[in-house]
Amino acid sequence: MRIVLGLLVCLLGFALSLLSLALTASVNGRLILVVIGMAMTLVGIIALINRACVKNAIWRK
Amino acid sequence: MKKTVLLLLVSAWCAVPQTTPVSPSPAPAPITEAGLKNVPAPSAAARAKGDPDGSLTGTAADVAVSDARKGLTIGDLVNQVGQNRIAINFVWTLIAGFLVMFMQAGFALVETGLCRAKNANHTMMMNFTVYGVGLLAYWLIGFSIQMGGVGAVGNLGGTPPLNAEYAVTLFGKSFGIFGQHGIFLTQAGTYDVGVMVVFLFQMVFMDTALTIVTGSAAERWKFAAFIVSSFLMGAFTYPLFANWAWGGGWLAGLGANFGLGHGYADFAGSGVVHAVGGLSALAAAMIIGPRLGKFTRTGKPNAIVGHDLVLVLTGCFILAFGWFGFNPGSTLGASGNGSLRIGSVAVNTMLAGMAGGIAAMLYMWLRYGKPDASMSGNGLLAGLVAITAPSGFVNPVGSVIIGAIAGVLVCLSVEYVERKMKVDDPVGAVSVHGVNGLWGVIATGLFADGKSNYGGSWNGVNGSVTGLFYGDPGQLVAQLIGAATLLGFVFVLSFVLLLAVDWMVGHRVSAKAELEGLDLPEMGALGYPEFELKAGSAGA
Repeated sequence: MRIVLGLLVCLLGFALSLLSLALTASVNGRLILVVIGMAMTLVGIIALINRACVKNAIWRK
Repeated sequence: MKKTVLLLLVSAWCAVPQTTPVSPSPAPAPITEAGLKNVPAPSAAARAKGDPDGSLTGTAADVAVSDARKGLTIGDLVNQVGQNRIAINFVWTLIAGFLVMFMQAGFALVETGLCRAKNANHTMMMNFTVYGVGLLAYWLIGFSIQMGGVGAVGNLGGTPPLNAEYAVTLFGKSFGIFGQHGIFLTQAGTYDVGVMVVFLFQMVFMDTALTIVTGSAAERWKFAAFIVSSFLMGAFTYPLFANWAWGGGWLAGLGANFGLGHGYADFAGSGVVHAVGGLSALAAAMIIGPRLGKFTRTGKPNAIVGHDLVLVLTGCFILAFGWFGFNPGSTLGASGNGSLRIGSVAVNTMLAGMAGGIAAMLYMWLRYGKPDASMSGNGLLAGLVAITAPSGFVNPVGSVIIGAIAGVLVCLSVEYVERKMKVDDPVGAVSVHGVNGLWGVIATGLFADGKSNYGGSWNGVNGSVTGLFYGDPGQLVAQLIGAATLLGFVFVLSFVLLLAVDWMVGHRVSAKAELEGLDLPEMGALGYPEFELKAGSAGA
């Protein structure tokens, strides 16, 4: 379940980066939105998906 | 006093401009059909005696004529000039592609050397097989998705059959999603000499991305699962992002459509090839899980050393050699459209590579007391990966900075991936290709100096690619959107496809096979049949 959530957060981060093109015409505004989008994808990968994978890792058994 | 006067006189004489009348050079006589007939060509008798100094070979007699009765015409001459330019570009691109193909040998040696001897056959066979599996997937559908709508590749004769890009309208602009021509290299007129050159060059790039994944999943990946996963990646994951960046897709159009610099600029593929490969490698390593014995029950990592550093560093040298095809070859020509910048691209490549190697060596030396060989090799590769996107747009100083940062970044990243994320990546593929691929994408948006000129425009935007440090913040935003797409879309797509393969085939070999070594259970033969492998030792 946490993996699915992580994948969704990643996609949301990507979508935010994409939406920055429509939400503002300012370069700085787009820059901020894209950086937030990238941060979201990193949270999705590292904090959600990876943790879910490590939780069932072979060395824990 | 006399001396002063004399000095003044001499100075005054020097100060007077010494002009000599320049007669205007006579205007060149126009080339006429009659004039062409009078161009001296060596006689058959002279040629029959041989040409030891080369002065008789390659003359007007060697220009192909369309009508022997008419002899050499201006039309023949002009056609020959055009064909010569395209021929130079064909040969350049093909040879660069052959160099990139040879990188497969480099990857095979690096990965096998960093793995244990008991898995040598399996690791080599993955690197060998991925070439064919990727090639067939790409020929079947991947090339069409990536390049089927690229439009004109001027350096290679125009490639007119590659003209069908599927696009959607978003935010009032056209977003190219995938190409539609080129299936089996026959559909829609793609049985074409220029298309073949594009295919060969792009195919070896795609295979580089595929072979990155075999490193992070080495020593525990079921061979059948590896084949299915590689096929899917060569057919869909790689071509899709490559289309967006290189095939006329939406990332390339960020400049023309949204005023973000020159759109996503990735000269030779830090993002397209290496970040795609590195992030897929991360997805694979996460799903498959760490090797037995890599982590203790408390999560502390154990070092599992490779069996042959000689292979590793030899492989690194082969890769560095092949990179001269990767980056300079990405001009897709040596003649016309600013292609003479190939010299600059090649020098940038070598500078960044060794800056990365030296930086990693110094980092490890200072931190751990010894200049670690495998991390020095990874530093070299990290520098090369990072310069791949910016190589066509930056100057030598920028290249050294990009490479040196990559060398330190790869060391930090390897530690983070292993110690914090608890991801087992036997060869450091995630850090070398994923992290530094992303760094290369971002570095382009920072260091591009605005001096390159590939036919006057890039991605349909006039002028040169210019990064933040040289005055264009919009370019950095375009690069960051590319990086966000890699992290948020490519990683997710790879993860989902690999998860599907896990459910269908199962990625991981049995614990028994893993402990025994994959050579016999998976491949049926040992990599080193006459060696005695000591159970429990690092090398075994």
